[in-house]
Amino acid sequence: MSVSRRQFLKGSGVGLLTFYVSGCQVSLTPEQAKQQQADFLTLTGPQVSTLEALGNVLVPGAASKGLAHFLDQQLSARGQDQLLMIRYLGVPQPFDGFYTAGLAAVESVSRAAHGKNFAELKSDQKTDLVMQMAQTNPEGWQGPPAPFFYFVVRSDAVDVVYGTTMGFDELDVPYMPHIEPPTGWRL
Amino acid sequence: MKIQKVGIVVVGSGASGSILAAKLARGGKDVVILEAGPQRGHDDLISSTLWARRLKWGGEPVVETGDHKISHVFNAGFGVGGSAMHHYGVWPRLHPVDFNMQSNYGEGLDWPIGYADLRPYYDEVQKEVGISGDAKSEVWRPAGDDYPMPGVPQFTQGRILAKGFNAKGMNTAPLPLAVNSIPYNGRRACIWDGWCDAGCPIGALANPVATYLPQALSGGARLMSNATVIKVLTSTDGMRCVGVRAVVDGEEMEFEADHVVLAAFAVQNPRLLLASATEKHPHGLGNGSFALGKYIMTHPAGLVYGLFEEETQCYLGAFGGQLVNQDAYDNKSTHASADAFGSYQWMIAQAVKPNDLLGIATTRPDLFGAPLDDFMKRAAKHFASMTAVVEDLPMAQNRVTLSDEKDPHGVPLAQVHHDSHPKTRALWQAVLEEGKSVFEAAGAKEVWTGPQGAMHIMGGTVMGDNPNTSVTDSYGQLHDVKNLYVAGPGLFPTSGGVNPTFTIHALASRTAQHLLERVAA
Repeated sequence: MSVSRRQFLKGSGVGLLTFYVSGCQVSLTPEQAKQQQADFLTLTGPQVSTLEALGNVLVPGAASKGLAHFLDQQLSARGQDQLLMIRYLGVPQPFDGFYTAGLAAVESVSRAAHGKNFAELKSDQKTDLVMQMAQTNPEGWQGPPAPFFYFVVRSDAVDVVYGTTMGFDELDVPYMPHIEPPTGWRL
Repeated sequence: MKIQKVGIVVVGSGASGSILAAKLARGGKDVVILEAGPQRGHDDLISSTLWARRLKWGGEPVVETGDHKISHVFNAGFGVGGSAMHHYGVWPRLHPVDFNMQSNYGEGLDWPIGYADLRPYYDEVQKEVGISGDAKSEVWRPAGDDYPMPGVPQFTQGRILAKGFNAKGMNTAPLPLAVNSIPYNGRRACIWDGWCDAGCPIGALANPVATYLPQALSGGARLMSNATVIKVLTSTDGMRCVGVRAVVDGEEMEFEADHVVLAAFAVQNPRLLLASATEKHPHGLGNGSFALGKYIMTHPAGLVYGLFEEETQCYLGAFGGQLVNQDAYDNKSTHASADAFGSYQWMIAQAVKPNDLLGIATTRPDLFGAPLDDFMKRAAKHFASMTAVVEDLPMAQNRVTLSDEKDPHGVPLAQVHHDSHPKTRALWQAVLEEGKSVFEAAGAKEVWTGPQGAMHIMGGTVMGDNPNTSVTDSYGQLHDVKNLYVAGPGLFPTSGGVNPTFTIHALASRTAQHLLERVAA
């Protein structure tokens, strides 16, 4: 049942994931999906805005690497095929409710404290709020435990920024794949 | 409903199921393997920490409670090859001292067998599969044949951490790995790229699709994936198992069998036995003494991390590590903390990736934003890690029970409670202190530790001589249904302080021989 390295690399296109651009299915990286403004299947516009702003605070560059498209695409995937780290963390599927409740809590706390959406806050205000989330539930927080939500979204952001072939390259870590991740979606 | 008549049904295609199926089929038996998850082969094993998550448990949810949860999704597998598809291939042996802890220390449980009973099977499996190691360097190693392959190579991270152990007067040896350091038995040698967790598509690591499943299939066994067993069937007098009912690709089927082996891992085996209760077995099969489901164990992981001045090449090697230390293994009751009890080993200098649960970024969850990015850039070059496998003392309250919630087939879900034994927690804490001191002795500029992780799942269908306190005998044969067997780590009465997969294979090999003799008779 052993196959050669050449055969592995030939199989690197297996399992491409799809996004929708103007109603057409296309295979893209999350970063490309972001650039091409691919449709969202699960997340709403305001949720995307909050997620991208939060992701950028957690891991610089997460939004442009396609964090929101990655998460949205994964939330619409079948349970056993999901690639999100939250799978390991004891949260029952489906995960949509966890993320939407957490994002709503971020917005609610942001508006209560500053009268603005999270994405509209100044940089230091965003950082302060995330610092609070990392340690405890900010006042008025209603959602999954804030430190846990912080950890989960941070992990997703880490995945799209550092867990890709490009992310490895940027850290100067050799990727050394046996079988490369699907070429349309190099995570 | 379709009915198939078979000789032996093996439920599960992981470590224990695959070796049993191979040996039984090659012994001329009519074997069907029923695997709940999807078909998987080498070309499914994509080198990515994200894609690797598909190999983890994807079946019915398991409800977890307790102060040290077992991390079922992370530790269990789903699909052909089971959990062993994503295991790291760390294959040390248990020690003689692990087998009689109740008799010798008044702690835990006794096994119904000793190391001498298991040694021939360790040696046999080691030869068949191949293990890389250096027996002479393992000054703590129990009696056994020399390893058939040279020890795994040492890279910079290993050399740096070895200096720390040496400075403290502690020993290191190449980590015994079921990973080929040279080509072996038609399988290729490892290229030390650290993708073990994502499954090894070149067959260098001994996962079932590289080792025993091909043997099972060539011996005539039939493997059915997407085949979820939902009930073990027994005769009306309750004395015999007559087969299983399964859902195969969405269709209910029955497999009439002379013998059934449950090899579906430590949580699903007791779930199935509990859910197969009948009038004659009102509390579940194998539960006449109410031992079924009890003594679930998981190794607390002692995670130690550091940054060094030198570049560590921490991306090279095997995911399990390069070196091992078991200096203190046999001193179960003698630790720096008087409250601590048990054995442990260090897996040293593990290959690491930037992301994922065991990745670099997760070791510092407190960092975000620019400080995280700075840390990642430094750590990618200068990071080192090691992990202690700490013995978990068995407690009856740590158990698998059935939930009120049911799956779509009407089978109650499993719920698992696991608390950390106070002596286990004390040992884990003492071990972390030792680990930090090793890193400091090695010259680390920064040292930190991780939370009490959960590695491996054992117990729940423990073996024993006494039917009043155990579920099976030493072969995994149920005390109260004689042609029904359990295989896998669920049989372990104690966890030891080493990775379980080698012992799972040795026990299953012993059971296979027993079954071949029994079926022949």
